[in-house]
This record gives sequence, C-alpha cells and structure tokens, in this order.
Amino acid sequence: MIQSVCVRASALPLPPIDSHRNAAMANSFAIDAQNLSYSVVSKQGKLLPILKDCSLQVPSGQFWMLLGPNGCGKSTLLKILAGLLSPDDGFLYVERPRSFVYQNPDHQVVMPTVEADVAFGLGKLNLTPNEIKTRVAKALDAVGMYEYLKKPVHTLSGGQKQRVATAGALAEACKVLLLDELTTFLDETDQIGVIKAMRNSMDTSQGITALWVTHRLEELEFADGAVYMEDGRIVRQGDATSIRKFIEDKLTSYVNQINL
Amino acid sequence: MYANFLHNYPTLTPTLSSIHVFTPKNHFTPNLRTEPLFLHLQPKKSRIIINCAANSDGVKGAVNWAEILEKWSPKKFLGADKLFRAISGATSSPIAQYIPSPFTLVHSVDPRIKLAWLFTLVILPAKSNVVMRLSLVAYLAILSVLVQPAQVWKDQLGRVTLLSGILFIMLGLSTDSAPSLISSRAPPPSMMGLPSFPASLEGYKYVILKLGPLQLTRKGLSTATTSACLTFTIFQSASVFLSTTTPEQIAFALRWFISPLANLGVPVAEVILTLLLSLRFINLVFDEVRNVALGIVSRRINWQQMTMLETIDVFFTYIRRIFRNIFVHAEQISQAMIVRGFRGDSTTHKIFLSADSSSGVANYISISCLFGLIALVTLPKYLIQ
Repeated sequence: MIQSVCVRASALPLPPIDSHRNAAMANSFAIDAQNLSYSVVSKQGKLLPILKDCSLQVPSGQFWMLLGPNGCGKSTLLKILAGLLSPDDGFLYVERPRSFVYQNPDHQVVMPTVEADVAFGLGKLNLTPNEIKTRVAKALDAVGMYEYLKKPVHTLSGGQKQRVATAGALAEACKVLLLDELTTFLDETDQIGVIKAMRNSMDTSQGITALWVTHRLEELEFADGAVYMEDGRIVRQGDATSIRKFIEDKLTSYVNQINL
Repeated sequence: MYANFLHNYPTLTPTLSSIHVFTPKNHFTPNLRTEPLFLHLQPKKSRIIINCAANSDGVKGAVNWAEILEKWSPKKFLGADKLFRAISGATSSPIAQYIPSPFTLVHSVDPRIKLAWLFTLVILPAKSNVVMRLSLVAYLAILSVLVQPAQVWKDQLGRVTLLSGILFIMLGLSTDSAPSLISSRAPPPSMMGLPSFPASLEGYKYVILKLGPLQLTRKGLSTATTSACLTFTIFQSASVFLSTTTPEQIAFALRWFISPLANLGVPVAEVILTLLLSLRFINLVFDEVRNVALGIVSRRINWQQMTMLETIDVFFTYIRRIFRNIFVHAEQISQAMIVRGFRGDSTTHKIFLSADSSSGVANYISISCLFGLIALVTLPKYLIQ
C-alpha cells in the first residue's frame, strides 16, 4: 500500500527545492522533508552536525514510526517537523494544524486537572464552552480516559498522563501528530495501553497522520510504515514489516560479527 | 597571619586492599623484629586542621576550627541519613489537595459560594464573642469529619488542634502574667482612706485562674480564644475548601470575584493563569524534592565517615540539583505551552474553567446558612445598641 514511498533517501537524486509545490503533492504526503540539515555549535565553537541530508515522506492518514539508536537525531528531527527548531538547509512541508507530544508527560500537561489540560490547546480557537466540552469529551474518549475527566493530574499514573497529553493534541483536531517516545517512562502494560489508545484514535478519526518516535521494535506491529535513522541520516523508510526485517538483519549481522 | 591545611591522614586512600603487609628492611634497623607489620589502610576520616598564629611576635595561637565545627556540627543532633530518608519517603501529593471521592454535598456547592464561606469564616471569629467562636470551631470540625476521608481529617484536625492549643495556652497564660513595671500615678484606695472596690454581686472575677506566677485573666482568655479560633478556622476552612474544590473551580470563583478589577487595570487573566500554573507546578516541586532525596539515599552514603563540611556539601548539591531540575521543568512546560498554541497573551488565549458541577439545592442551602450565620453574629450587636 505504501510501496510508492519506500525509497532510500540517500540513494534518490532529488530535484532542486521548490517552495511552491503543487497541491497534489501536499495532499498525498502529510509530512514531506527533503535534504534537511541541522547543526549546533559546541562550547568550543565547533560545528556539530546533528542531521545530515535527511529526507522522508509520510503519507496522509497513516501511522508511522521513526526508529534509531540513541543520539541519532530522532527527537531533533521531530522538533524540526514541529517547528520548534529551524533546519539549516532543506525543504520541509508539514500539514497544519500539527501537534507535538513530549516524551515526559509532566512537561506536556500544564493544567492541574484532566479536563482543563485537554482544553488548554483549544484556548487559541474561538470556541464556545459547549464546543470545548464536546471536543474534550471526544478526545478523552478516544484515548479511553473519559472517566478521569475531573481527576487531578498528579493522581494519574505515567501512562494515564501520557494518554491525557495525547488527548490534548487530539482535541485540537490536528492533521499531524508528532509523538516523541511516549512509552519511554512507562511499564509494559502502560506502553501497550498508550499505543493501543493511539492506534484506536487514529482509526476512529479520519485524516490524522502520526509520526511516533520509538526504540521498541515490538511497537512496529501497530504502524503502517516506519523510518530508520542512524548517525543523523535516514537510512531506510518503508512499510513496517520491511523495516522490522531490516533492523533484525542488522542486529543479527552485528551479533555474528561479535561472535567471530 | 597564616593558615596551614594539614592532613593528618591521607585523603587519597588505597583502593587495592584494606590491609597491606609492610616488611621493614633489616639493614636500616638491624634489631627490629622480623614479624611483618600490618598497616591498616582503611579509609579514615580526613580532618582539616587550620593552624592560626600571630605573624611576627612568635606567639602561636593554634585554633583547630575543624574540630570545633565537628563538635558543634548539626549532624550530631540531626542525622542527615534520617532526614533524606524522611524526605524520600514522604508523599509527593501536596497538602490539602482536592479529594474527588467521596463526593459530598459540599463538593456540589458552587465554588463562588464556597469562596464566600471561606472569607466569612476567616473574618467572623475576630468579630464575634467566645461562644460564637467556639461554635464555629465545632462546626468546622464536624464539617471536616463529614466531608473528608478519615485519614485526612484525623491528620489535619490533629495538627491544627495542636497548633491552636499551643497558641491558646501561651497567649492565655502570658497576656496578663507579666505585670506592668509602670506604676499608676494615683495611690491605691487604701492610702487615700477610701474603701476598696466592692466585690461583684454577679461573681465577676477578672482573674479566672492562677497557676503560680501565671494567671489566666478575662483579657487573656479573650486574646487566646480569638487567636486560637482564628488559627483553627483559617487552616481548617482552607483545608475543607481545597479538598472539595478543584483548582479550576478555585480559579473560576476567584476570576468571578476579581473580574471587576480588570476595569482598574488589574491583569485578571494573568493572575488566573499564574494561579493555575502554580497549582500544577506544586506537584512537580514535591516530586523533585522527593526524587532527588531518593537518589541520594540510594547511593548508600556512609554519613558517619563524612566530615561536617562534606555533609554540608551534599546538602548544597541536593538543593542545587532540585533548583536545576525545577528550572528544566519550567522551561519544558513553557515550551509545551507554546507548542499548544499559547502566545504569551492570557487575554486572547482562553482558559476553560468548568464549574458546572454545582447543584441548585446545595447552593440554596449553603447560601441560606451563610446569611444566617452572618446575621447571627452581627445582628445581636445592633439589637443591643
């Protein structure tokens, strides 16, 4: 289904960047990034490249995962897609409105109770109280947290807080969800709970595209496609099965190399 | 003046073994015993000795400051280990938090009425008589028992009663116990040949109780009951209010009361947003304080081996770490707010404050009781006049 976007970014010669891409392109891909580069200056004044010529495309309405070892630049790439960081070079198109969910739910949840927090992102829209209540209820229902509507945030577990954070993003009726390692701090039960809630909300709400950063290969079974990164570069992107096979093969060759 | 830092024991201790065998060489000391000597190289307490002496006259006034500091160090009285364990074992939940269940009649009262009750209960004890004050205390105690879970009201009432009791005893016995040193200009009635003041026919006594040099007078009783009851009502009414009202409801009620001040230029929206963020941030601060203490406890530091300066250093590291983590949290939360659409203007970014859980019957009963109480306290004064 997504074979058309199974390309090796580094192998594909890309045309010159054109900021006025046609509407068809924008409609087929919710996220389209070409040749993105990002560097930081170290304390010693040295230029450290974080992202090197990264290209990825995520089709609209799909749930994709971004995998890679620690420090390979996944979170940085996600922050660039969210608009929190500006790339040094490259073309970037992300469908709007977009939402970003942090790795640590304590950083995302800003209000003291569940209802007020989910409604926080709606403050920028000119909605009536009834519209806000409906949206909040729908978003909480999608992540299975409706019964916690009036609960104080500090009484929730890590997984529940993470689901509240996701509901906050869903309530904004965003087109693109950027999710940064939501299951890192969670135990196995909560990990499954959060990813199932995410998948469920993706299935019930039409037109949402999600990019989920993770380390866990087992989470790939919930994804439509995946991107694998290494050392600031996108090594491979494609359907979840092929990416899983690619990583497992890589792991096997590494183990064999050690055993030799 | 000069100061020397002398280490009696090596600071860098050997890591290979705790006991090393040392065999003396015979050609230097021919008569020495041949058995090996065992040198214990266990890490010893390193002591810093500061020698102070006069400069040119040769009079040496050596003061061992480190030993003095060690002698008077707080760790002799307060174990650092116990303190960190107590902090790490404490609950992360802040005091007087909202308790959603059991859902009582007080929970369903409109937060604005509850806030009015809170202000009234803070003001009334100062304006009423002893009986009314004690009645208010009893009312609040009963209300706490009815609306709060047993472990909460037992803990809360116990602490507040203890504090109020200490205040009552101290103020009651000390108000008139220290006689004034300034004498009256007028001589006592016996010196002027006048009879003493007649005793009250109704049994009035200014001094109610005498306990040696201490005495409980009517003035002392009035002061003590006012202070103790005021303390009790402030703490307990706030506790009941906070445990039955969500932070959003508090913000909603406060916004309703202070919104007219917006016409005078008061930044009402900023005040409300700051209040809500503070209420959320309190939990994070409690978590940080507990988690960093837990991190120190889990290192299994041998506090007995540490000098006072090293113990103080650990405490400073602890405080520094808490502040650093809190600032990181603050930065991340502000970034999350920006990501979620907040652009720094509280007036354009509407905060949804739901306060629709109030029940009409509960509101009616509550507001009637409030007016009844105010009338009961204020009307007798006007009627007497």
